[in-house]
Amino acid sequence: MQPHHRSYWPIVAALTALSAPLVIMYVYQLIDTVTTTAPGSIIPNGITLQHWQFLSQPITRDGPTIWALAGNTLIFACSTAVVVTGVSLTAAYALSRLAMPGRGLFLGGLIVLHAFPTLTLIVAVFLILQYMGLYDTLTGVILVKVAFELPFGIWIMKGFYDSVPWEIEMAGVTDGASRFTVWRLLVLPQVQPGLAALLIFSFLSGWSEFILPLVLAPANAPQVLATYLAAIIADDRVADFSLFKAVSIFYALPVLAIYVIFQKKLMNIYGGGSKG
Amino acid sequence: MRQDRIGFLFITPAVFAVVVFYLVPVLMTAVIAFTDMSTATGIRGGDYVLTESSLRKLDDASLPADTVAQLAEGGFVVDADGLAGIEAQFGAALTTRIATALLDEKFDNRREIERALNDLRAPELRITRDRKAAAALFQRSVLNTRHDTPESLRAALSVADIPLADHDQIVQAAYTGWSWTTRNFELLVSLPSTLRYALNTLMYVSVTLVVFNIGLGLFLAISTFYLPERTSATFRAIWFMPRILPPVLYVLMWKWMMLDSGFIASVLAPLGVARINWMMETEVHAWVAVILINGVVGASFGMIIFASAIKAIPQTMLMAAEVDGASRWQQVRFIILPQMRWPILFVTAYQTLSLLASFEYILLSTGGGPGSATEVWAMAAFRTALNNYGGNLQYGMGATFALVLVLIGTALSLIYLRFFNFQALLSKPRIER
Repeated sequence: MQPHHRSYWPIVAALTALSAPLVIMYVYQLIDTVTTTAPGSIIPNGITLQHWQFLSQPITRDGPTIWALAGNTLIFACSTAVVVTGVSLTAAYALSRLAMPGRGLFLGGLIVLHAFPTLTLIVAVFLILQYMGLYDTLTGVILVKVAFELPFGIWIMKGFYDSVPWEIEMAGVTDGASRFTVWRLLVLPQVQPGLAALLIFSFLSGWSEFILPLVLAPANAPQVLATYLAAIIADDRVADFSLFKAVSIFYALPVLAIYVIFQKKLMNIYGGGSKG
Repeated sequence: MRQDRIGFLFITPAVFAVVVFYLVPVLMTAVIAFTDMSTATGIRGGDYVLTESSLRKLDDASLPADTVAQLAEGGFVVDADGLAGIEAQFGAALTTRIATALLDEKFDNRREIERALNDLRAPELRITRDRKAAAALFQRSVLNTRHDTPESLRAALSVADIPLADHDQIVQAAYTGWSWTTRNFELLVSLPSTLRYALNTLMYVSVTLVVFNIGLGLFLAISTFYLPERTSATFRAIWFMPRILPPVLYVLMWKWMMLDSGFIASVLAPLGVARINWMMETEVHAWVAVILINGVVGASFGMIIFASAIKAIPQTMLMAAEVDGASRWQQVRFIILPQMRWPILFVTAYQTLSLLASFEYILLSTGGGPGSATEVWAMAAFRTALNNYGGNLQYGMGATFALVLVLIGTALSLIYLRFFNFQALLSKPRIER
């Protein structure tokens, strides 16, 4: 829609004014990591790589290296993504296509859970992990994260399955294939865009997760980048915004990369209604 | 394999996750809200152990003074365990001597057993210090011994000759585990901070939702709709970022903006404005910060939903209006906004729920302060049960806070279910086998 005969400059001006604080934050987030600035000033006065020294040596003595934390975060995010996608892939197919008793109940439950504020359960979940002996382990946090992401994942995948034409399955079944074979060979290829979107989404969600590792795996040292970054920011002994910014850019690199590559797809899936 | 079998196989992992991490937690929250479970009581039920401090409490609680003294001192019994100690320390001769003379004798206090030992005239016990050491080996105090069951403690009390009438009171005082109580709910109703958390939550949810999720979200969606493709894509990208950036990084940017060494303070300093912490200076500052930080993320969500709804409006309608000379404002007012009714309802329902439970950005930015000015209900639950500075985590009280949210959440999610055209979602499978 492009109304050529009307000026859109007032709109652009209003949007620019509104967006200015965000743009300032983004720009300084980047340039502060490679420049030095005199205290109390906002204009950089030199270029430096000193804020990136954390890549080769731990920030606090005896602290974990950034690479160990990045490894943990990667394990956490990847496991979350794979398990959420795997479980959603089968459960959503059953809900979308298979006649079975209680299907209506499951679907109603799914919608309720999709909107349910999961974080209210954190006290009970904390105790459950203690009873299960999984408290303070990465496995425990992954399980909880997966469970909390599942309603959304199943919801998204069900949408993709719903739009696969029945004719494809009919053809397979008439040829004598079992429903399982039909799902694996004929239906799965049809929902591949959904599978990719869900993988990306749940990876990002796992990579950014802060509260769950904070509560469920506090340990002595932070386990993932989110809790580590929050801990050094909260630590009064280190008060160096340029360092925080450099660490957080390092932390956000996968997010930014995925954003640049999959921008359109992401906007669509976030529009599907995510938590937060 | 028949399809209902495959169906169950396919859905079992999801059902398992839902049972363990949704159903059980909901029930557990309700149950634990009625207990005084905390770090001190442990989470597994408790042991029975009498300590100095439980003894002091018993003394205050009108247990007969004699019994208290008896518990404190403990009795002395000449038994096999004690004899084994004697043998190790003083040799077999003395052991035989004590065993023949005193086996199974009981003494109420140290003086009596020491006198009995003295009466043996044993050469090993000629020195007072040795006599005391030997007596100590037979001391059978009920203090500081852990018992798994109340029966085990009662047995020990009987051995120590504590009057049977006092057992119940002692066992109760010795219990270290959690117990059932409705005190949490009484506290919830009586504490003034409860009202504060409720009002904070109301303010936080309503302002964020109305002004940012819906107001700013609609403005962003509609205004970018009227811009050329590239310009609108740029603005949408700027406003989409907050939603996708990790919360820790996002809040860090705001801190850099607002702290006393930050951007706002540095820009205003040359103009003679004192450097203050724009995030925490007063309650008003903190509230503005909390709502801005959450609001921008919320606006991002609103913008995405509304933008895709606007895209679904038939272009012909807008073109016709354009031809008829409708102003842009008239197009928005009479064509776009009426179409936004359902998206607005959706965002309201969905976002109310997620804002009610979310405290991540508040925790990272103001931490609920100054004081508890920006502490919302969900954060109070979290702090009470999982993260207070005192170190004694009150699981029972925290669960009581959480239970209120769980109930509200469940009710609202059920209403949310009504928004969906359920029959359409449940379209009948068309393959019979």
